[in-house]
Amino acid sequence: MLKNYFKIAWRNIKRHKAYSAINVAGLAIGVAACLLIFVVVQFELSYEKFQPNYKNIYRIVLQQDLGDGISYSEGTPYPITAALRADFPQVKLAALNTAYNSQFTVPANANNFGADNKKFVEEIGVMFMQPQFFDIFKYKWLSGDASVLNAPNMVVVDRSTAKKYFGDWQSATGRVIKMDNQINLKVAGVIEDVPGNSDLPLKVLVSYATLKTHLHEYNADDSWNTVSSNHQVFMLLPANATVSNLNAQLKVFTKKHYGGNDNDHKVHFLQALSDLHYNTRFGNSLGDHITNKATIRTLSLIAVLIILMASINFINLSTAQSVGRSKEVGIRKVLGSSRAQLIKQSLGETTLIVLFALLIAIAIAKLALPFLKNIASVPDDISLFSIGSLLFLLTTTLVIVLISGIYPALVVSGFRPVLALKNKITAASVGGVPLRRVLVVAQFSISQLLIIGTIVAVRQMNYINSADLGFNKEAILVIPGSTDSVSLQKSAPFKAQLLQTPGVKNVTFTADQPSSQNNWTTNFYFDHNTTDKNYQTSLKFGDADYFKTFGLRFKAGHAYTQSDTTNGVVINETFAQKVGVHDYNSIIGKSVKLGNGQWRPIVGVVEDFKTNTMRDAVRPIVLVQNKKQQGIVAVKLSTSNFAGTVASVQKQWEHTYSDYAYSGYFLDQNIAEFYKQENQLALVYKIFAMIAVFISCLGLYGLVSFMVVQRTKEVGVRKVLGASVSSIVYLFSKEFMLLITISFIIATPIAYYMMNSWLQNFVFRIPLSVGVFVLAIVSSMLVAWLTVGYKAVKAALATPVKSLRSE
Amino acid sequence: MLSLKNISKYYKAGNLKTSILNNINLDVDAGEFVSIMGPSGSGKSTLLNIIGMLDEPTDGYHYFLNQPIHQLKEKQRQALYKENIGFVFQAYHLIDELTVYENIETPLLYHNIKSDERKALVADMLDRFQIVGKKDLFPSQLSGGQQQLVGIARALIVSPKLLLADEPTGNLNSKQGDEIMELFKKLNKEEGMTIIQVTHSEKNAEYGSRIINLLDGTVESSKNV
Repeated sequence: MLKNYFKIAWRNIKRHKAYSAINVAGLAIGVAACLLIFVVVQFELSYEKFQPNYKNIYRIVLQQDLGDGISYSEGTPYPITAALRADFPQVKLAALNTAYNSQFTVPANANNFGADNKKFVEEIGVMFMQPQFFDIFKYKWLSGDASVLNAPNMVVVDRSTAKKYFGDWQSATGRVIKMDNQINLKVAGVIEDVPGNSDLPLKVLVSYATLKTHLHEYNADDSWNTVSSNHQVFMLLPANATVSNLNAQLKVFTKKHYGGNDNDHKVHFLQALSDLHYNTRFGNSLGDHITNKATIRTLSLIAVLIILMASINFINLSTAQSVGRSKEVGIRKVLGSSRAQLIKQSLGETTLIVLFALLIAIAIAKLALPFLKNIASVPDDISLFSIGSLLFLLTTTLVIVLISGIYPALVVSGFRPVLALKNKITAASVGGVPLRRVLVVAQFSISQLLIIGTIVAVRQMNYINSADLGFNKEAILVIPGSTDSVSLQKSAPFKAQLLQTPGVKNVTFTADQPSSQNNWTTNFYFDHNTTDKNYQTSLKFGDADYFKTFGLRFKAGHAYTQSDTTNGVVINETFAQKVGVHDYNSIIGKSVKLGNGQWRPIVGVVEDFKTNTMRDAVRPIVLVQNKKQQGIVAVKLSTSNFAGTVASVQKQWEHTYSDYAYSGYFLDQNIAEFYKQENQLALVYKIFAMIAVFISCLGLYGLVSFMVVQRTKEVGVRKVLGASVSSIVYLFSKEFMLLITISFIIATPIAYYMMNSWLQNFVFRIPLSVGVFVLAIVSSMLVAWLTVGYKAVKAALATPVKSLRSE
Repeated sequence: MLSLKNISKYYKAGNLKTSILNNINLDVDAGEFVSIMGPSGSGKSTLLNIIGMLDEPTDGYHYFLNQPIHQLKEKQRQALYKENIGFVFQAYHLIDELTVYENIETPLLYHNIKSDERKALVADMLDRFQIVGKKDLFPSQLSGGQQQLVGIARALIVSPKLLLADEPTGNLNSKQGDEIMELFKKLNKEEGMTIIQVTHSEKNAEYGSRIINLLDGTVESSKNV
């Protein structure tokens, strides 16, 4: 019996190749897309879940009000660890201080540093770590244990870093490496690589005791007033404690330890480990990305919509096709088949097609998997198959078989045999047309939603990529360097040397590029006032050529002159406006005092440039020379012989700073990186809108083919009565135009709401104009026309004799 | 075997009542070969469908093998039908996607007959109608007469007590038609199969043992041959 069903199913698939192809293609693409999204969502939701204490681990974070609104920081002041240990003896806690772009020098053999040292720069994953960290988080130790981190100048590396530095992890222990050309460290332990789904990439763990004598080099300060997001404290919630309880105690703790003003506007509280990967209030200072829960929800929603569309197609096409099979059903009934048996047969056929589509879907997903990292931050070795994804496939199959199988099965098995045998089953009698209209409207609503999403996301990203940042980001090579005294002494001669190089236009030594995700802020005094302003200003350090090199535009005054001692400062428009000066010329000559420094005259006002990302408002800023911080060199190049100049600059840099590894980058590419997640989301919209449009076109094509068949006779009669080809094409297309208009009306408010809230992430954003929506409906109409047109014209051109002959 | 009492069938469309059958009384004994004749629209096919339980009368009493069909539930009616009635159609109504062999086998699947037994039964049938060589062909590859043979083989494979035929020769040329009629006569005479056929042709009707003439939904005449 089963064999018989499958045989018929297979022969049916073969006989109706076009229908089957549409059915299978739509479903396969839909399932493949969903499977990939599922893999991404599952990965994003799995962060840190492998930690046995997952539910009880918290990070101590900071809420502060610095005068310009409440802000949050994942950082803590350096002295907090000791104070916490004293005030909360029952709590297990551990501090870590992360270091970015640290360089490690590895001697080629034994422990003798020489000319053949290997140099590695670690972007992330380098942390000064307290041994207590391993009481809270659990990792597998390949060699050594947490206690080795008690002593200063010890280091623990993970398996792959050990392999990178020493060839294999077994020979790592006992070796000596040098950190940032100044700290010698002894390898005392090796841990297993941390899984990809963690925001704590432990690569090189330097004992925290080492930090004590190098606080300044790693942006730390033994003071309650300095908060660096690099310094973080994790803790394990004791069995008898609650979060609200501890938060209350932390409030008291904050009051007790912070002096002066900080007392009132800083408070520490607990952030759960389960919140770490998703909360955008806090930066991501340890791992490589955090993901907004809203993004995950958007992705999941898209997946659900796509699978819904594919199922709708399936229902649409199956019921349409079932009309053609009414005769077979009639015969089977006459031959003694029960309704249950017919339903089983119909479900069997659906199952077969779904399974077939599923295999193709898996193949598509497998082929597309390597490209997944373009739309999501997933590791290269992410696997398509897991218990979760297999369960997902199984559930999807069942759901699709049920939704798209049951309805056609009920319709088909309910045919009255007498009518079925006389071919009197029509679209009307399967109740299909109204339902089919609803389904087409649903499909087109989803497509238009995604089309609008695409247009908005792409436009916003284009806007960001081409926006005037207030400075020139093109052809600027940025080379991070060190601020140790030896390196700083080389700055001036190196700059002079570079300026001699053909193709180099300008050179500046700086601490930070104009647009960055860094924030260096301080309190300040204006115009010899004795009390400081109740908000902070941002700082950027650079030498006198900073303005020339980055092409900053002056509104008033001029750049400060080159000098080793501090003289004038330059401010931006926002700064001037915030202190209440609108005539920029009048602020020239007034003075500011930064923190506890000297009074300095303002010599220039620059036009506002984007100090951070386009997500953030422009901050008030003071540009000032501070030679001790200016380790980064930025080189403006001419575009002729670009590659040659870059190579020459690199060579000269490596020669001058031979102890350091070169890690230069281009400013424009670096700025584009700020928007990696947004660009990914825009790409997701693009891809899935295309899939959605494709699937709904398949559906539309299926529907129109079906209607053409149903109305052949009507068309014949109309033609005999003198209807023109165009009037018949109109007959078929007017309905679809109406359906698309209805779906547009449904999609627009949802899309408006969705995209408007997405745009709120950006301070600098495009307006959500009518044009976007017009473009969406026009393109939908156009695509629908292309789909329907061919079939409609063909039907209109058919000779009426043929269609009327059957009666 | 079969008894229809005061069977009527009509459709209502708005205020308009269209009568198809009007107060039909008919008894058929086991072993009879009845031919129903009448012009187009006289209700012969509807009558046959009611006898075959493919259609329900609006009024009247219908007994089959002493069971009151008009009182049975759908399931019981279907079981009774499945066991006892075979159908042959003017348009053959073979399943296009199945081979000759599979078409004949299909009713056995619905009777839950085991694979071995099915093979034997289908083989017998192919033999009996001398279509063994055609067993792997699809309906579209056969002539009309051959298709109708397959249709009859399919109807007979479950050994029904009553064979219903709706213009079985309507789509065939006269030679093929004669062969089918001879086959029916042989089935009736040699195996005692009860047959009711609807036909247009005077000549074909003569093969039966009784001819019933319908006109406008009523029995106009009934005569034994």
